[in-house]
Amino acid sequence: MKKKKGFWHGMDVCVTYVLLFAVAFVFFFPCLWLILASFSKSGSIYSFDGFFPTEYSLASFRRLFTDTALYDYPQWFFNTLFVAAGSCVIGSFLVILTAYTMSRFEFKARKPLMKGTMVLGMFPSFMGMIAVYLLMTQFNMINSLWGLILIYSAGAPLQYLTQKGFFDTIPKAINEAARIDGATSFQIFTKINLPLSKPIIVYTALTSFTWPWSDFILPKLLLKKRELYTVAVGLMALDETEFARFAAGSVFIAVPIVILYFVLVKNMVNGMAQGAVKG
Amino acid sequence: MKKIRVVMIAVLAFTQLTGCGAAGGNAQQAESSQATGTAAGSSVFDGELEENVTIYVLENDTAISKGYFDELIEAFNEAYAEYGITAVDANMDQYLDLANDGPYGYGPDVLYQANDVIMQYAEDKHIYPLPAEQLECYELIDESAWDAYRIEVDGSEYICGVPVNVQAPMLYYRADLLPEDWESAWDENGNQVPDMAESWNAMYAWSLQRHEEDSTKYGYMKSLYDTYFSSGFLFSYGAYVFGENNTDPSHIGLAAGEAEKGAWVLSQLASAMSEECIDDTITANAYSKLADGTYFATISTPDVYSTFFDELVMAYEGEGMSEEEAKAAAEENLVMTTLPMLPESGDLTEENPTLIESKTMGGINGYAVSAYTEYPNDCLAFIEFATSYEMVVKRSEMLGIAPARQDAAETAGGTSELLYQSLADGNIVLMPSIKEVAQLWTPAETFFTDVAKDVFRSESERKYKDLEDFRAGLENMVQQIHDAIFTLQ
Repeated sequence: MKKKKGFWHGMDVCVTYVLLFAVAFVFFFPCLWLILASFSKSGSIYSFDGFFPTEYSLASFRRLFTDTALYDYPQWFFNTLFVAAGSCVIGSFLVILTAYTMSRFEFKARKPLMKGTMVLGMFPSFMGMIAVYLLMTQFNMINSLWGLILIYSAGAPLQYLTQKGFFDTIPKAINEAARIDGATSFQIFTKINLPLSKPIIVYTALTSFTWPWSDFILPKLLLKKRELYTVAVGLMALDETEFARFAAGSVFIAVPIVILYFVLVKNMVNGMAQGAVKG
Repeated sequence: MKKIRVVMIAVLAFTQLTGCGAAGGNAQQAESSQATGTAAGSSVFDGELEENVTIYVLENDTAISKGYFDELIEAFNEAYAEYGITAVDANMDQYLDLANDGPYGYGPDVLYQANDVIMQYAEDKHIYPLPAEQLECYELIDESAWDAYRIEVDGSEYICGVPVNVQAPMLYYRADLLPEDWESAWDENGNQVPDMAESWNAMYAWSLQRHEEDSTKYGYMKSLYDTYFSSGFLFSYGAYVFGENNTDPSHIGLAAGEAEKGAWVLSQLASAMSEECIDDTITANAYSKLADGTYFATISTPDVYSTFFDELVMAYEGEGMSEEEAKAAAEENLVMTTLPMLPESGDLTEENPTLIESKTMGGINGYAVSAYTEYPNDCLAFIEFATSYEMVVKRSEMLGIAPARQDAAETAGGTSELLYQSLADGNIVLMPSIKEVAQLWTPAETFFTDVAKDVFRSESERKYKDLEDFRAGLENMVQQIHDAIFTLQ
């Protein structure tokens, strides 16, 4: 009986690992292919031996940062960083404030507001693109990176539900105790709730950063000047013969987000674990 | 509550006021421009330069990357410095959307585009009609090139663009891939030009031979679905796109004359290619495959010469040549010339055929003035400057384009002169400039794809067995285009 159980357990582990490897391969292979293609010496997809390049070099990356007369990748990179960082800071701030307000304060329009934002959040963002374009022309904010930051940040609080869920898990008794000790609402928020909310702040910052970092539709709609392009729009504007530059640009754009993830993920996990113990 | 209302009203009022800023002003101006644009002809061009202003010019990517555009605006700015006029790069995607961005003031003042793009804007009045006769280049550009920019509104004719260069398919081949005995075996008329570059029959025979000798190598290769390149084979046998000089969409002529012979030629050429001729694989890989010697020849437009050249240089360097040696070898071996002649019978296997000229679909790239510009006279001055003999010759030297100006084409010589001559002889059929041309591409691509695919079907499944079948296919395509135009529009 024990043997039989051991056999099935072994099979279970085996099948699980096979499935995990298969799924990992499906997701990892395109990334691997793109990374190797970006190091291709010929720069042409048609010179590959089967799936992979025959010779490797750093030439594509060198061209990406030096041949900037027509395709100014460093400038696009800076623009993307500026928009993503700006949206991350302002957007995270607004989301946390919204979530905290919805979680901690009782006011008349709270429920209708929650329902309203939930319904509005269900509509795909590109539905409002024509209206956004017309509004931005009226505000004279076409060809402005701040215009992008404004839209990303203004739209961010609609996605506050996850953060509200987190604030709901912090016992209200802590707030009440602080209030009895004479703390103001602002002090309760900054000195008690914010330090306890590190994981959700990190999560919010990461998501607020990654959305503008990889978005294509909105920058394409609002940025007409080449010097203001973000990387996503710039890569799409490359000529069809510029595959190597495209591959190198696509690989390099992933670097900051990967670094950011590895730097911040520790805080997220630690915070979550701490929360679990407290709970 | 009252306070909140007051604040909200103030915010709304502020946003409304902001809305009447520069962009709104431009939109209004554009509306008035549209109202006066074509109806009043070129009345905005009163000859008085608008001083101390900046005009935004949209050029094509090649002109920017090769440094020609920098030289052009530098020279213009120097020449017009006394008026305070500065031309700058509009710094936009070359495939702009003037119809949507122009009215809000985000389009360029001067734009460089293909004739079909400019004329579609002209139809919707996004482009100013120009006083072309006043330009120095007017007499020096062939009438057929001006025709590409002509539009008729309420019985009056207007010209909406100034031709700069002629675009038409050219044959690219590698001289170092010719058979060793080509001078004795493949130069029948002894003119030191290989027969493959002079007749499609010879090109077909060489393609078959090359593939037979080494199954990984091919002769002539091209994605046949591409209407821009394949329709020329139909034109050569009497077909045309629209009636009344490409202005009457009710009359579609792609099956006219003996067009079926052109389709047959395409089918025969496909039989010497791989299945990749069915889709766009060859169009995308031709640069590297010509460079590594897999393909002997292909056709493409003259503006991509530098891409073929760079790939070949890289391939030679990979074979161990120094950069200088590789460049010299590429210059010598990469040949760009006009298309070979076709057999009158359409039979590529015919020995000693009677040959006829190959016709091609082509385009004229040129400058136009946006109807949303505030400085039309400066824009016209820029166009006059950019289309001057010196600048067009420089453009031809730096970018390898074929000038539309006769004197510049003669100075450039070689391919440029040949292309100019082809245009003047009517061998370049200009892409129609009317909106209905948008309905041409999909049915035509479907037909050409089917012709290419047919070669790779088993004998029993083949659709095109004789000229009658090709004619039926063409007539079906024409019907589809007709239905698309008159059902969808």
